Amino acid sequence: MWRAISSWWAETAAVLAKDWRSELRTRYALNTLALFAVTTLVTVSFGIGPVGTSADMAGGVLPVVLWIILLFAATAGLPRLFVHEEETHTATALRLSATPSALFTGKLIYGVTLIFALEALVAPLFIALMQLPVARPWLLVGLLAAGGYGLAAASTLISAIISQARGQSTLFAVLAFPVLLPLFILLIDLTRTAVLDAPLTTPLGSQMAPLLLYDLVVTVAGWMLFPAVWNP
Amino acid sequence: MHELRPGILAAVSDVHLSPASPTVGPDPSDSLRFVDVRRRFGRLSVLTGVSGELSSGEVMLVTGANGSGKSTLLKCLAALLAPDRGTIELTEESRTLDAYDRRLRVGFLSPDLAFYEELTTLENLRFFARLRRAPEARCEALLERVGLPNDRKSGALSSGMRQRLRWAWAMLHRPRLLLLDEPFQNFDAPGETMARDLLTEHLESGGLAVVAAPSGMDLPHVASYLELVG
Repeated sequence: MWRAISSWWAETAAVLAKDWRSELRTRYALNTLALFAVTTLVTVSFGIGPVGTSADMAGGVLPVVLWIILLFAATAGLPRLFVHEEETHTATALRLSATPSALFTGKLIYGVTLIFALEALVAPLFIALMQLPVARPWLLVGLLAAGGYGLAAASTLISAIISQARGQSTLFAVLAFPVLLPLFILLIDLTRTAVLDAPLTTPLGSQMAPLLLYDLVVTVAGWMLFPAVWNP
Repeated sequence: MHELRPGILAAVSDVHLSPASPTVGPDPSDSLRFVDVRRRFGRLSVLTGVSGELSSGEVMLVTGANGSGKSTLLKCLAALLAPDRGTIELTEESRTLDAYDRRLRVGFLSPDLAFYEELTTLENLRFFARLRRAPEARCEALLERVGLPNDRKSGALSSGMRQRLRWAWAMLHRPRLLLLDEPFQNFDAPGETMARDLLTEHLESGGLAVVAAPSGMDLPHVASYLELVG
């Protein structure tokens, strides 16, 4: 039992290490995500804030803008998780070598770490440039973690689904819309709570529960669906 | 009408049969048997009922013109494609593997098999060795055997060197069944000798091999021929 788990984890770690090694050598996703995020961030900061945003508006508008920037920056890189393997014909060697669940988990952890790196760049810059007051910083950190995980998990699964199809970009947008919409509604609502210094009507734990449940459901769905999606 | 002829090879309407030469392997329980395998791509019918049988230490040589279905057959045997109809049974150590196990067990070599261009040959093999639970020491030994440098990035390999890397990759986990699609493509004379030696050693240790090529070739231990007509 432990030996099987150890082998499975070694496979997962191998996929994660390979993806990061490849990424650090090519810097395709890192450059795309960072450039997109910084460009959007600077454009937004010149366009609407902090001069153009009143204190009352900040809590309502800026959380939406933050998550839109993160969503679009992430969708510039994450859909390629599996698409790249198909385009470069390395998917065949992977199919013949990797346990599907270990492959999915390795790709998922890679996607999560990539999103966390993106958030670590974007969130502090956004807060500084927009002069956004954060009433509950630890809640915001928790939201970035749980939200980033959910975004990465959903994107990893959708990337696997679209990897063998034509018109991948369009298909990603079509599939991502219904899957990511509930996540972003939850995230924007909770980010407002983190930003605004208003008394809580319900305990934070109850407010976070749907978000954590979303992450759990997407992860389990990924593990269950991926072998069918990946294998013929 | 598609029927399986006892002994060497099944006869189907689009398959030409040739006599076999017997070979001996140390583990006679290993075998590959496929019956009435059919595969379509949309309206195009590529495999229309192909059957065959192979035992330990034997080679099946699959020939046919471009588009006749050789690569499709090999992908079906490797469980990379699911046949529309028919059965494929790979038995190793008296256990018949399902499609999932078959996919992870076979050694597969094909012209469209590619590796990570930004990684070196050794990094590529080590990655797949970890996935296939093969000892990492085997990676360096195999690279030396196929005559490749450890530190050359895969993207910087010539076509012949890429074929050598495919051979090393296919042999990495010591598969019992080798599925070789145009295995000597792009090789120079020493490269082809090296590959033939690897194949001979594999067969003499009791392995099985299905080799696909556009036309017939001189191979050791060929037990059956399958000619596909597209």
